[in-house]
Amino acid sequence: MEERDIIEGCLRGSPASDQAMVEAYGTLVLSVALNVLGNRQDAEDVCQETFLQVFRRLDRYDRERSFKTWLLTIAYRRSLDMLRKKRRFREFSERARFEPAVMRRGEAAERGDPEPLPSKLLETLSPRERTALCLWASEGYTAKDISEVLACSASTARVYLFNARRKIKSLLENDHGLLQNG
Amino acid sequence: MASCRTVERLYAALPLRPFRDWLIRTHMDRCPRCQAGLLSREEAKSLLVGPDQVVGADRLWRRIAGEAGCAASGARSTPSPVGVTWRWAAAAAMAAAIAVTGFWLLREVGRSGSEAKIVAAADRFQIDYVHVGGAPAQTFVYQPQGTDTVFVWASRTPEKEG
Repeated sequence: MEERDIIEGCLRGSPASDQAMVEAYGTLVLSVALNVLGNRQDAEDVCQETFLQVFRRLDRYDRERSFKTWLLTIAYRRSLDMLRKKRRFREFSERARFEPAVMRRGEAAERGDPEPLPSKLLETLSPRERTALCLWASEGYTAKDISEVLACSASTARVYLFNARRKIKSLLENDHGLLQNG
Repeated sequence: MASCRTVERLYAALPLRPFRDWLIRTHMDRCPRCQAGLLSREEAKSLLVGPDQVVGADRLWRRIAGEAGCAASGARSTPSPVGVTWRWAAAAAMAAAIAVTGFWLLREVGRSGSEAKIVAAADRFQIDYVHVGGAPAQTFVYQPQGTDTVFVWASRTPEKEG
């Protein structure tokens, strides 16, 4: 099914088109969310929220723009929301001085899940930098495309991307140096 | 080359974000030498999870379909006979409740209507003529406040002396 047909079908409320959309873009959204969040459970939650929002707001989609970029913009925003929610929860649990069982659930899912996870090195990047790096490397996005997803100027997107590439390269070189010296 | 080193030193010396952003915008992002020292696309790919590495999209659809309230094609369920029976029972109970409430309301309205008629009758109470002992009598009409009761007091008119 073509992208246009899928969109038309979803606008008519056809479940088959909804399924076709999830099958066509599900792995893309899930991989971006996974790279930004670094956790499979959270990435799946974000993916679900993203598609539900897409189905609800599809009538607002501007046909002049790329559908994939619009979809990834929603996924990126939902990922940021998830990070904020987790940060607030972590702050609350630290203040309340208890170890929440919910946080362990995600870790257990990671251990039992054979799904690959992004490198821990990415945790040194900000969510914007991670997103910029992911879109650039996996999707071949330019700074202008990235700027649409991040809702910033193209030059700012270039800065995010530059910082991400520089930081990771530096960490890799340090690790390599340590391995050689050790 | 010399300018690259200067920029690198400035970048390391002043960890101020606006300043670093300015250096990137004005030099590092455009300089091929500075670009060569960055992470390549292939290196980045090896650290990230690509769409081709993600499995379980079918599981994803089942999850989304369940949440969206529309079942996946083929898995769409038809309403069970038990469910239909319960629905009919609920509809019948609702109809009975509406009928009883309507009956009660109509009865109440009818009752208040008859009371209104009584009040109207009291308002219309009128005495044209009262005779006591064959002669016109003095007549007094009392109605206590807040009641519909009307008292009529009639007494013989005192005869004129002389």
